[in-house]
Amino acid sequence: MITLYGHNLSRANRCLWVLEELGIDYEQNKIDHRDGSTKTPEYLAINPSGKTPALLDGDVCMSESLGINLYIAQKYGGGSLWPNDDEGRAKSIQWTMWAATELEGPVITVVVERLFKPENARDEAAAKAAENKLPSVLNVLNTSLEGRNYLASDDFTIADLNAGCVVASLKMVGFDFSTYPNVSKWLDGILGRDAYQKVQAMPKP
Amino acid sequence: MITLYGKVMSRAARCVWVLEELGLEYEHVPTDSRTGEYKTEEFLSINPGGKIPALKDGEVSLFESLGINLYLAQKYGAGSLWPDDECGQAQVIQWTLFAATELEPPGAARLVEFIFKSEDERNQAIWEAAEKRAGPVLDVLEASLQNSLYLVGDCFTIADLNTSVVLEYLDRTGVDLRPWSKTYGWYRTCIDRPANQRVTEMKKTS
Repeated sequence: MITLYGHNLSRANRCLWVLEELGIDYEQNKIDHRDGSTKTPEYLAINPSGKTPALLDGDVCMSESLGINLYIAQKYGGGSLWPNDDEGRAKSIQWTMWAATELEGPVITVVVERLFKPENARDEAAAKAAENKLPSVLNVLNTSLEGRNYLASDDFTIADLNAGCVVASLKMVGFDFSTYPNVSKWLDGILGRDAYQKVQAMPKP
Repeated sequence: MITLYGKVMSRAARCVWVLEELGLEYEHVPTDSRTGEYKTEEFLSINPGGKIPALKDGEVSLFESLGINLYLAQKYGAGSLWPDDECGQAQVIQWTLFAATELEPPGAARLVEFIFKSEDERNQAIWEAAEKRAGPVLDVLEASLQNSLYLVGDCFTIADLNTSVVLEYLDRTGVDLRPWSKTYGWYRTCIDRPANQRVTEMKKTS
């Protein structure tokens, strides 16, 4: 049995998308750092950092949202989310790491500083610096999507999901994607998928 | 044929370590981001972001240093750098992402201040905030290494390589790792491996 730890407004959302894509049976334990339930000895044994999400799958126990997604794709998504060919697999790993190292930093800073923080606590300089980083990052994505529908193969894979779930956060701040037409088209396509829509419709804490 | 792009004094060193660890034959093109070499059509066709390292392996090409390492380990390191069991495979993916998302940001922040600025030009706020941020991350490593010599299973895997090579940023920029005694012992074991010593030699002659 698979158990995913983390509520729907956390990065667990990313993993819910994968689980729903693959139609896997799972339980969700909606622990929340705001009520202390991520700092219990039981949870710290699963993830010593006390962060969510984490995943239990039989004897397998792991943390890191994009890593969980890569693992689930490899184990349960052979030939669909996890491509059968070397090139597709290499690109799936590449885009997962790229989402973590290049994309997530500026995206999260923009969302936090423009939306999540109360207005009087926002750091304008940090927000601006992050926004200034976005064009070069999004241009890499836009160039890579030139003449193709998906990042790693002819079909939707974990590469699209892992990069897409991070880019999608920019929708929350009404980011204008019009200068990145390939990204815009790709993002609308993947966010329209049934699994993503199902996760978005789930109750939020 | 495997071709690695990126001078050894860059994140390409991480990938050289894996290639040396696995004893793979490879060609090394020391692309230098300062000379414009990364803007050639050949290189941009591999990485439109123009960053090093990048790798070609026959028809396959990819970028992202830790991702290249994961790819090489999975393809060529079965039973050594890439564990045979599912738990181990999940764990090496986890630690690779941990290295990228938790460990690299404070390490890279300090490295920028360390390499490109003299001591009195250094942004003290960034310098100190990065060290402070590293503390809880090192605590996680320390907790995970309480009862084992390596991060995943009983032997050295790509998890140890990808994590220790990123931890090196903190070590190099003067963060004293010794208070995290298990982590420090493990870190020394990893970076002292012969394959990584060869990378160190390459840096000296580059």
